[in-house]
Amino acid sequence: MAHQNKTVDIHDEENYDPTVWVPKAHSHGTRALWKTFWLLLALTIIDVVLYFLMDPGMSRNVTFIILGVVKAAFIVYVFMHLTYEHKSLKMSIVLPMIGVVYLIVLLLKEADFWNYLNW
Amino acid sequence: MSNHAVSRKPTWAGGKSPFKISYGKLMMWFFLLSDAFTFSSLLVGYGAVRFSFPSAEESVPAEVQTWVKDNVVPFKTDNHEAFHDHGFVESMQMKGVFSESHWPAPDMVFNHFPGTHLHLPLMFVSLMTFILILSSVTMVLAVEAGQRMEKNKVQLYMLLTIVGGFMFLGCQAWEWTMFIGEGAKLFTNPFGPVTFAALFFLVTGFHGFHVFSGVVLNIIIYLNVLRGTYERRGHYEMVEKVGLYWHFVDLVWVFVFTFFYLI
Repeated sequence: MAHQNKTVDIHDEENYDPTVWVPKAHSHGTRALWKTFWLLLALTIIDVVLYFLMDPGMSRNVTFIILGVVKAAFIVYVFMHLTYEHKSLKMSIVLPMIGVVYLIVLLLKEADFWNYLNW
Repeated sequence: MSNHAVSRKPTWAGGKSPFKISYGKLMMWFFLLSDAFTFSSLLVGYGAVRFSFPSAEESVPAEVQTWVKDNVVPFKTDNHEAFHDHGFVESMQMKGVFSESHWPAPDMVFNHFPGTHLHLPLMFVSLMTFILILSSVTMVLAVEAGQRMEKNKVQLYMLLTIVGGFMFLGCQAWEWTMFIGEGAKLFTNPFGPVTFAALFFLVTGFHGFHVFSGVVLNIIIYLNVLRGTYERRGHYEMVEKVGLYWHFVDLVWVFVFTFFYLI
């Protein structure tokens, strides 16, 4: 119980204690945040406009999915601060999503076959 | 007693944090990654079912499509007055615009706006998207204020985020009420294939539940901010952690919006 009264430096990396250690926080300003907000808003408006301007079909759907991925990337990199994180964390989060891309390819192929079966 | 040499290392022997972040934030990231897989499965499953049906424009006869274009005009047609004989949904069923054999076009299904009966496709869901994006900005502003240890700003922005969350939930409740009121249930769907309604309720419900839990978490953290818990702790990282969760909810909505309302 001797350590109980010891004060711990929560930012000290040399004396790393996983239960309390936290990196020193520093602000990156609000400019990028507001820029991202306007960008997300603009992309959403473009979504709605394209819905009425483009003919329904595969090219319109692909456009929407690309716009969705762009919006998602900005949310993750700017709002969730992933761009300021260490490379190892970036890779741990982004790389596993490749599995989702593979799932999309597999299931769309499968859906084509269900359509063929007149399911 | 054994005579093996036992190393007296502490539980953690990994030295510094390999990811340069605290364990709590790291776990939040990995939780969100697993949650992303859950939502991906739901949305990709929806996509597969969606593409196993023909679209309305492939299946509905050309002259009916022309009739729809002439008679269901965005911002002009009053769905109550123009379709007073049978109602909008029943009229579309009789025309074959809504049928079990093809997927309905989302602008024919989600065309309501509170306080009016005009045909306003996608307008309400765009408003919901706007509310959620805005609450994401106030959340990230709270995180930023926390990094500068500005308690008053954190308080204000957290409160605005909570208000935004409740507004979004209210909108979703209204959207569900309209959809259910027109006859959509888990296993019945007047607009087309049953799986459309089932997956709509499943996925938007699952997302809505995430929003709800996000609001609850935000309220807990907001109360802690008020009590000065993080001022005493020396950092506002808890705000950042719930912020990650809140932004993830916004991120998922981007795809729910894309798949359910646009495609």
